[in-house]
Amino acid sequence: MALLAVAMMAGACGSSSSKSKASGTVASQLVMGGPPECATRSTCLAGLEQIYGLHFKDFKPLDAGGPLTKTALKNGDIQVARLFTSDEAISIDNFVVLNDDKHFQLAGNIVPVIRTAKATSDVKSVLNKVSKALTTADLMNLNKSLDIDKQEPVDVAAKYVKDKGLAGSATGGSKGSITIGSANFSENEMLADVYADALKGAGYSVSVKAKLGSREVVEPALESGQIDLVPEYAGNYLSFLDTTVGALALDQTVSKLQALAATKGLTVLDASPASDADAIAVAKATADKYHLSKISDLGKSA
Amino acid sequence: MVHFLSQLAGWFTNGDHWQGSGGVPHRVIEHLSMSGAAMLAALVLALPVSLVLGHTGRGGFLAINISNIGRAVPSFAILVLGEQVLGIGAKPAFVALVALAVPPIVTNTYTAIRQVDPDLRDAARGMGMTGGQILRRVEWPVAVPLIFAGIRTAGVQVVATATLAAVIAWGGLGRYIIDGIAQRDHIQVFAGALLVVVLSALTEVGLGTLQRAVTPAGLRKARLRPAAAEHREIVVVAA
Amino acid sequence: MPETWWQLGAAGLPSGQPWVQWQWVHRHPAIIYHALREHVVLTGLAVGIGLAIALPLGVLAWRWRRLETPVLGFTGAIYTVPSLALFALLIPVTGLSRTTSEIGLVGYTLLILVRNILTGLEGVPAEVRDAAAGMGFSPLRQLIRVELPIALPAIVAGVRIATVTTIGLVTVTALIGQGGLGQLINDGLVNDFRTKVVVGTVLSVALAAVIDAALVGAERLATPWDRARAREG
Repeated sequence: MALLAVAMMAGACGSSSSKSKASGTVASQLVMGGPPECATRSTCLAGLEQIYGLHFKDFKPLDAGGPLTKTALKNGDIQVARLFTSDEAISIDNFVVLNDDKHFQLAGNIVPVIRTAKATSDVKSVLNKVSKALTTADLMNLNKSLDIDKQEPVDVAAKYVKDKGLAGSATGGSKGSITIGSANFSENEMLADVYADALKGAGYSVSVKAKLGSREVVEPALESGQIDLVPEYAGNYLSFLDTTVGALALDQTVSKLQALAATKGLTVLDASPASDADAIAVAKATADKYHLSKISDLGKSA
Repeated sequence: MVHFLSQLAGWFTNGDHWQGSGGVPHRVIEHLSMSGAAMLAALVLALPVSLVLGHTGRGGFLAINISNIGRAVPSFAILVLGEQVLGIGAKPAFVALVALAVPPIVTNTYTAIRQVDPDLRDAARGMGMTGGQILRRVEWPVAVPLIFAGIRTAGVQVVATATLAAVIAWGGLGRYIIDGIAQRDHIQVFAGALLVVVLSALTEVGLGTLQRAVTPAGLRKARLRPAAAEHREIVVVAA
Repeated sequence: MPETWWQLGAAGLPSGQPWVQWQWVHRHPAIIYHALREHVVLTGLAVGIGLAIALPLGVLAWRWRRLETPVLGFTGAIYTVPSLALFALLIPVTGLSRTTSEIGLVGYTLLILVRNILTGLEGVPAEVRDAAAGMGFSPLRQLIRVELPIALPAIVAGVRIATVTTIGLVTVTALIGQGGLGQLINDGLVNDFRTKVVVGTVLSVALAAVIDAALVGAERLATPWDRARAREG
């Protein structure tokens, strides 16, 4: 295994970046993990640096709140993780979600975003009906089926739609066609399938382009018309379109989002009570060790 | 196009990209040392065994076909299977890369020793050499060019597949490509790809020079064919 | 102690998953079939287009020796580029699309195919070529009726290698949105679902084996004179 040590030593060079000016803080002793796009997002690492003034020891690109990140957090390979608030692992694995005291995260309520050209009043009412029925508790249960029971998003969605009676029984797709896209995590895939089933049951012909990628990939596809509809998250989407926006109440978030989206030919529909925001989480042991309950605690001296 | 090129130049001239654990020097060293370590491990595992097998003529079926079988399994699959068994990061990447390097070394080494002119072996035996002496003083020198062809194939493959290992949360130069795709930062993607191209080309040239250096002048051909990247062709690149 | 990539994942991912959950396989044949079909299509397109480009390229390089080195050099240069990097170089131009995948995949077939076409054509005995010329065949007719058929075994060998290689490379296109069976493997990675990884891998290998055998059979059918000679010899 001496050879592995060689490979390891190579990895050991330069453990901190030039940005690590705030040494001596709790954060400077911790490694953060999240999806690769986290590094540049104002709702993720970039925001933590700018708004909270936090500089971590290192950042590991892993996945979007998926098994790689969660396992790394459990194993202590990373100490801080970007997860999702609707993740069932938070309660099951005893992670502690740090309170966003400086409000750099906006409301994570689910909103369907659809190209205005396809947003007929019938389509809107079908979609809004679904959004209204979704709750955060539902999301957690659905995520459990996806992550732990390894069920397919399309099956989980079909069952949910059936149980909640969200779809009519129309077939044939005569009312028109819609293409739905989803991002590269299973909750979003499942939501896309839920909306798809509802629209199909209402008589539309629906095709789903799943797992397109991160929002950085999905959003341009929506703007260019490759897809017509995406299940989005109000706050994150707004931050993505306007990185300067600060914390806002839900209704302000949605109305700002609607205004911005309209300039791109997109319509933002009603926000669902179900919310899934980014969560900055640590393992319970880390929270106890450094007395962490809110994000700014990471900026205290260690 | 000009705009793209100027942005690309900007990426390479950005000081941040040359510092720290995400900087180019670190990633290059990471990539090379992992590749080197995997190659060394593969040589230690495969070379002695294949030399003996070739010398005794045993295990031929396995030695020759291991490359065929190995070639049929996609490198991407080997990496992910490694991750399923060993988790993420350097450990599964290392094991997967060793697994990729072994077949070309085995097949080429075995074939190289087997192809030694039987008359030479007979003559050596006639002179009273032991088996070990025959292997060391007769078979090995003749077989060296072809053995090094296998090492070259393996080395190029390893450097290439180390690029892919970024998907199981390892580092290396592939990191720029994977992260760039996620961040939709096409400049980063392209910059990473360029770095990989340069490193692969240097590896190919370096190992090619090494192979030519150990090949006796009479056996050299004007043009040695390029070894496979991670495409893992069947191996016997002629000396 | 500085954090290193080596330490990451030392404890591994939760095991306890069976290598194959047959229940999943039984319930989702459509997913498997869809992945397999996409894989076959991507491979077929790549090898087909590759052959369409390699044939004229190979013939030209064979006719004009001066072209041989640049042609082999160019196709060889593409071949040395690791697949992810080659696709990555194309992304700013053609995006995360099937076009990007196909351009890369076709590029990788070229060296193998051109090299084998050259080997095959160079193996045509001079007497045969003279005889054909003597019978009044035009160069084109000579090529199609005499030289290419004789070169066929080498060309088919090239197609076999190119196809098996492409089947492996198609899995990498999962990282830019296509992937075929590679998409199954990638899903297994991203969702920590071992069954998909195994199914994707096993089917890739099986596909390569089946197509390889089929090509050997097709070659035997296409070259009855080789069989006749073998029977006599």
